[in-house]
Amino acid sequence: MSDTNTPAIACRGARKVFGGAVAVAGADLVVRAGEVHALVGENGAGKSTLLGMVSGRLGADGGTVEVFGHRMHGGNPRESRERGLVAVYQELTMVPGLTAEANVFLGQVRTRHGLLDGRAMRRRYLELCAELEIDVPPTALARDLSVSQQQMLEIMRGIESNGRVLVLDEPTAALAEHERDTLYRILRRLTARGTTIVFVSHNLDEVLDLSDTITVLRDGHVVRSAPRGEWTKPTLIEHMVGRTVDRLAERGTHPFGAEVLAARGVRLPGVLHDIDVTVRAGEIVGLWGLVGSGRTTFLRSLAGAEPASSGELRLLGEPVPWPRSVRQAVGRGVVMVPESRKQALVLGMDGTSNYWLGRGGRRIFLDRRTERVEAGETADFFAFKRSRIGEPVRNLSGGNQQKVLLAKWAGHEPDVFLIDEPTRGIDIGAKAEVLTSLVRLAAEGAAVVVTSSELEEVLAIANRLLVFAHGSVVREIPSDDPEFNVDAVVRHGFSTGETHEPVH
Amino acid sequence: MNPSTELSPAGAVAAVPAPERASLAPLASRFAMIAVLIGLVVLASILYPGFLAPANLRDLLLQNTAVGIVALGMTFVIISGGFDLSVGATYALGATVSAGVAISTGSPVAGIVAAVLAGLVCGVANGILVARVGINPFVATLGSASVISGVAYLYSSSAPFIVSDADFKILARSSVAGVPTPILVLVVTFVIGGIALAMTRYGRNIYAVGGNHEAGWLSGLRVKDLTASVYVLTGVLAAFAGTIDASRLGVGQADVGANIALDAIAIVIVGGTSLRGGEGAVWRSAVGLLIFATLTNLFYSLNLSQNWQLIAKGTIVLLAVALDSWSRNRRS
Repeated sequence: MSDTNTPAIACRGARKVFGGAVAVAGADLVVRAGEVHALVGENGAGKSTLLGMVSGRLGADGGTVEVFGHRMHGGNPRESRERGLVAVYQELTMVPGLTAEANVFLGQVRTRHGLLDGRAMRRRYLELCAELEIDVPPTALARDLSVSQQQMLEIMRGIESNGRVLVLDEPTAALAEHERDTLYRILRRLTARGTTIVFVSHNLDEVLDLSDTITVLRDGHVVRSAPRGEWTKPTLIEHMVGRTVDRLAERGTHPFGAEVLAARGVRLPGVLHDIDVTVRAGEIVGLWGLVGSGRTTFLRSLAGAEPASSGELRLLGEPVPWPRSVRQAVGRGVVMVPESRKQALVLGMDGTSNYWLGRGGRRIFLDRRTERVEAGETADFFAFKRSRIGEPVRNLSGGNQQKVLLAKWAGHEPDVFLIDEPTRGIDIGAKAEVLTSLVRLAAEGAAVVVTSSELEEVLAIANRLLVFAHGSVVREIPSDDPEFNVDAVVRHGFSTGETHEPVH
Repeated sequence: MNPSTELSPAGAVAAVPAPERASLAPLASRFAMIAVLIGLVVLASILYPGFLAPANLRDLLLQNTAVGIVALGMTFVIISGGFDLSVGATYALGATVSAGVAISTGSPVAGIVAAVLAGLVCGVANGILVARVGINPFVATLGSASVISGVAYLYSSSAPFIVSDADFKILARSSVAGVPTPILVLVVTFVIGGIALAMTRYGRNIYAVGGNHEAGWLSGLRVKDLTASVYVLTGVLAAFAGTIDASRLGVGQADVGANIALDAIAIVIVGGTSLRGGEGAVWRSAVGLLIFATLTNLFYSLNLSQNWQLIAKGTIVLLAVALDSWSRNRRS
């Protein structure tokens, strides 16, 4: 089929745009047959999108993607599958009610005289288990298996379909320590039989441990692709984060007022462990951490959107019960601007209606004119063109949707703003406007807590930064601390807890 | 279809020039059903010259008053992203209870009040099942339909209640200023419903719940209560529609209303309200109702069999749903 010189995967200038936001901007990537290739980068660097194009789930908007020399048309995972490329996504594709064995042979059953050949499938299943040193009983129902075991079945399914390239998107993110070791062992067995492996991971230790080649992505570009031997953990981080950061916004210079929000011992079983935070009027506190570090869940807990969370809360110096619903939190002047605009806006409604959703006091009838005027005025504060407030939110760009969303919550005139990922997927101009408006909110006396996976942006406007890792705050850094820089923060964010260095 | 301008007619005259793609195609699909209605009326008056005669139009509306009132409630349910299959049973319960109570108390008013209360109970039960217990609306109301129907049969001992009191027929047989009372009731409920949905805070919250449940919840709406409320409304309207029917016939029995649920859903969908929730309007259901009424009337006056009527109605519903899916797929 293919000689050894044909790369397993070759991307040239691959490009993908989602509704105006460039996810991958012309990436070149070559994965040699038989190697283990890792893709690393910050959140939003374009790793998963690039994998999506390689696996055929997404079609490239520009450039070419080839699998074993075959040019992909994209938009159909079947195309790459026929070339022997198997993708294992974070969302696993098991049929919960079927047995482990049936799941492995899903869509590729063995038959004899037109009937299922149970004996042959059982033999092959046990063979695969032995080969990969996997121990999952064939008759166990998929719904009773752990994530790790389901992932193993998914890999077995790929091998059974003659997979020669295995693509894994953050395979260890959901696994416990000992399960990771099992996965590493399976991957090594696969490499030994000549399978090519491409994977995305945030765990730099495992990347350095497993890979033959490591490619770093940043802002949709491939920064550097080089053999394992040329990388160290610090150089990886340096390439991931980059050096050139434009100043998007200026930190406020206004003085702070009294303490507005103080939360103690915030916990959510299995996710958050004893987190404390205090925010004063006029202060912007940034939260940063990797995906899964708990920063978003923490924000949602403060906003009443995680009813299972618990903790002690003081607002404006008064102790109040822990919020059990968004409604409660909003009633006490704590609002959350959620991460996903698609989740937080009714896309079919216009800006004005979205702005007023969930409030308006005792009036029964709507007063469109007054509503439009106030919505427009508030949106103006966020550099939103007032004349567009009557348009369906669906027609607005990501940046403008974000401004409507911010205005909607600013309209509540809250004491505390919890803002999750305000700049995700919006263009650079809108980013600057959004960040500047957050500083202005703080200058007018609001207490602001903001998370972003774009660390430079948080550092640009925050007065204090909390670094999250594994559901805890591993570090609190004021803006005048020498550690208030990208390198130091990322180092703390990647710390695994055990290897975490003591203070100073 | 452009749902936001649907919410706010005033939005159309905003200072913004409409973006170029909002030119003709969406407008055409937005008002497609009005065009269908006009075409149908023209066709009907050609095929059946007596179609536009006042007496015929009055009959046409009278025959469809009950299903129209049910369809109004269904509009709320579908826009909220739900579904109610139990309206037929509630309708039958309303008919039996109104007649039964009118006989046992000797007061037609007591009958109507009792029927509406029964509908309220059915609606609250559906609302709890869907919003609190969290059962899929389709299954919840299919189940409750069976229970409600059983209760109606039990209450009436499976026999029709024949009301001899002439006052019982006043609701359906009287008229105000020459307009039959049921038609007046139909128009008034549609106007109130239309205002409630398009111009009140409650109405907008219903759109939000159907359009994006999560966004509503994150905005601090009482999503569960709002969801439950549409079933309560529908239950009351369905039972009330049943009393009108019982009053017209002077008889209340438990085996009426078999087609009501599907007809009401069909009317809502044909008008152009999206089955996926969050989009639609009361005026659309009014258009859907008139399309259906015209079609039925035409079939009767041409002496075509009931069977052809079923086929034609089904085809129209499928076409309307296909149009909805098609316009959505194109947008995404």
